[in-house]
Amino acid sequence: MIEYMLTLGIVAMEGRGFEYPTDSVTAPNGRLYVPNKSRDFGERGVRLTVLDIESEFYGTFGTYGESKGQLQSPSAVESTKDGRILVCDDYTHTVNLFDLDGVFLDRWGMHGEGLKELNGPSGVAVDSNNNVYISDTRNHRIQKFSIDGVHLGSFGERGMRKGQFELPWGISFTPRNTLCVADWGNSRVQELTLDGEVSSVIDNFSNSDYELKYPSSAVIDNNGTTYIADWGNERIKVIDAGGAMVQNLRGEATISKWASEFLSSNAEENNARLASNLEVDLDFLEDHDPHSESAHIEKYFWSPVSVKLDHLDRVYVTETNRHRIQVYQQT
Amino acid sequence: MVIADKKEYELRAHLLRRAGFGSTKKELEQYLRNSYEDTVEYLLNPNFDDWMGDHLVRRFDGEASGMINAPGASRNWLYRMISTTNPLTEKIPLLWHSIFATGVPKVINGRVLFDQINMLRKYGTGRLDNLLLQLSRDPAMIVWLDNQENHKDAINENWGRELLELFSMGVGNYTEEDVKECARAFTGWSIGNTEYMMVRAKRDSDWPYGRIAYHFEYLEDDHDSEQRTFLGQTGNFNGEDIIRIICEQESTARFISRHLYHFFVADEAPVPSWGTIAPRDPEAIDQLVASYFDSNHNITEMLRVLFNSDFFKSKDVRYQKVKGPAEFAASVLRLSGQFEIPHREMIPKYRQIVWMGQELSNPSSVEGWHEGKEWVDTGTLIERINFASEQLGNYENPGIKAIVNTFMAENAKFLSGEELVEKSLEQLGYQEVSDKTRAILVEYSEEIDDIVSKITGIIRLITTSKEFQLA
Repeated sequence: MIEYMLTLGIVAMEGRGFEYPTDSVTAPNGRLYVPNKSRDFGERGVRLTVLDIESEFYGTFGTYGESKGQLQSPSAVESTKDGRILVCDDYTHTVNLFDLDGVFLDRWGMHGEGLKELNGPSGVAVDSNNNVYISDTRNHRIQKFSIDGVHLGSFGERGMRKGQFELPWGISFTPRNTLCVADWGNSRVQELTLDGEVSSVIDNFSNSDYELKYPSSAVIDNNGTTYIADWGNERIKVIDAGGAMVQNLRGEATISKWASEFLSSNAEENNARLASNLEVDLDFLEDHDPHSESAHIEKYFWSPVSVKLDHLDRVYVTETNRHRIQVYQQT
Repeated sequence: MVIADKKEYELRAHLLRRAGFGSTKKELEQYLRNSYEDTVEYLLNPNFDDWMGDHLVRRFDGEASGMINAPGASRNWLYRMISTTNPLTEKIPLLWHSIFATGVPKVINGRVLFDQINMLRKYGTGRLDNLLLQLSRDPAMIVWLDNQENHKDAINENWGRELLELFSMGVGNYTEEDVKECARAFTGWSIGNTEYMMVRAKRDSDWPYGRIAYHFEYLEDDHDSEQRTFLGQTGNFNGEDIIRIICEQESTARFISRHLYHFFVADEAPVPSWGTIAPRDPEAIDQLVASYFDSNHNITEMLRVLFNSDFFKSKDVRYQKVKGPAEFAASVLRLSGQFEIPHREMIPKYRQIVWMGQELSNPSSVEGWHEGKEWVDTGTLIERINFASEQLGNYENPGIKAIVNTFMAENAKFLSGEELVEKSLEQLGYQEVSDKTRAILVEYSEEIDDIVSKITGIIRLITTSKEFQLA
């Protein structure tokens, strides 16, 4: 079981803050690396923001551009144990490598539908041998590369059967040496061996309680608990090792340190905010669409795009539309 | 295989241009499996079930989901226009948006504007009474016309005046006292967290965590509940009563009927002149007015009468409407097939629509846009032609590739210039052109040797024709 701990971030087009963040990863140096796509895929906003759980800000890198070390649409991030940061770019169809200080190291990947080629990569995971697994989204498959970009294999194709995918999104490496793939278009999570064999499927057929709808990301902790970003329902679902859904979280964001600093220096806005009711009764939303609910209630998850763990199994939920990260800790 | 003569194709294409955003030959063949009346019923009875398109947009165009600004919200709508399988579903909000025009200069928040479009889609085919009631409660409209500043001890007439003048009855059918009483009846119709939302709007603030959607709030303490006389009726009228009385008026029936004719049948004179210039087809307006009262003010029933009428099917009204920029662009992008999955190239496409003269959710005034021939001047015409020829003359675009492949499967290289032109016009939804335009197309086709270049060239030239600008 997890409980809400704190919120990180604030919306910002440049510098300290996030704008349409797509993922996060806690690197071996304890810092959090957060890729941002920006509001209109434009020159302002695209970057990786570096911070820690105390909201200490360490700068940005990977700003917008075509040169090596620049990004156009950073869609996913992962780190290696030896301190490299991998960033997928779903517009340039590349994987970009940086060191922990944001110094550019390498870039590989090529657009296309053939083997080795990528089309809109939106998820990345690294195993204990530094093999890289890419969620090759628009090719509806998972591709395996060495850390240097040498193609090592590919599995999956478009479809609904086990081992097939429909626009796969987040991918994570699990403590049991498997891969956990958010099979977005099929509203399920597939767990695969490193050779691509399906070892388990979490879907609405296996347990109707799950009610998954277009999940974007899933991770498994050391106890075998699975955390799913149920993106279409704007929720985080926690499933224990026995398959029971034990939590169905809606989000409970509070004011982050950066947000607090903004509000304290903008008194007119802060006073009006304090006089407001930001948890209104949503009966006026006749269809109870969770996306609309999240547009009205600021503390709710809104486009929870990524769920990640740190070494303490704290859960980091990156919310694209709210430009922040909600952190949960084990109870 | 659908057996239908060319006239049937052309009539169905006319319906799909007006009730939708045009059609391909393949789509027309699908529609022709059923009768004209059944097609009308299909269009009038949309399926609001969840569809993956919404989720695709949210996933692949973040700002079209988070909607900090209005263009993101408008892109979301544009994706719907080009991907929906029931195009009237998107034509309906376009109709009402052109009448109840609301815009970003005061509303700022893209999500709030998006919510209004959703409201227009949801209620735009029901009873006019309910649509106007929802409009009265719509947060974007409340802010657009300052009704959050309409207090019982200090009325603001903006909403009351425009409700009567622009949204229901038209000038000349009410008095200044009616405007004041209308405004008084809507005192206390506001939005929740008014102060915070207005401070944020004034500062264009999206801090700390992006936009927050607005919601309607009725402030009873701020409502003037005194007895009032409105349009000859007396009572303790609140906003709901005002709308009921408005919808009982023949002037309202005529105003709405003329708008439906203007949007779906043929361009009328500009709206501000309707008080002095008679309708283009008074008998058609009479039919629609009768339908309005017969159906208890139901828009779907009025549209059923309209689409099945002789005045709508008449050849005299075909190609008598200049396509609005959003409608024009949506029709082009549906044909080009570029956006099966949303992507960033929609941003420049959307900007081109703005350059054509229509920025959705940013009307030129509270009156909306002046439509018809006013959509076209030397600058906007060039934009329109360039846009269409760029998308539809590009073999790499999936829709065009599919058309070319269809030709190739039919041994197009053995077809004459006349046959190639005829088949190209069919592929673009049985587009009709003048004899002069057709002769130019045939002449062009005989100058080009490479068959793919020839087909794409013919399509590109068709899109530059006068007829292609018209619906």
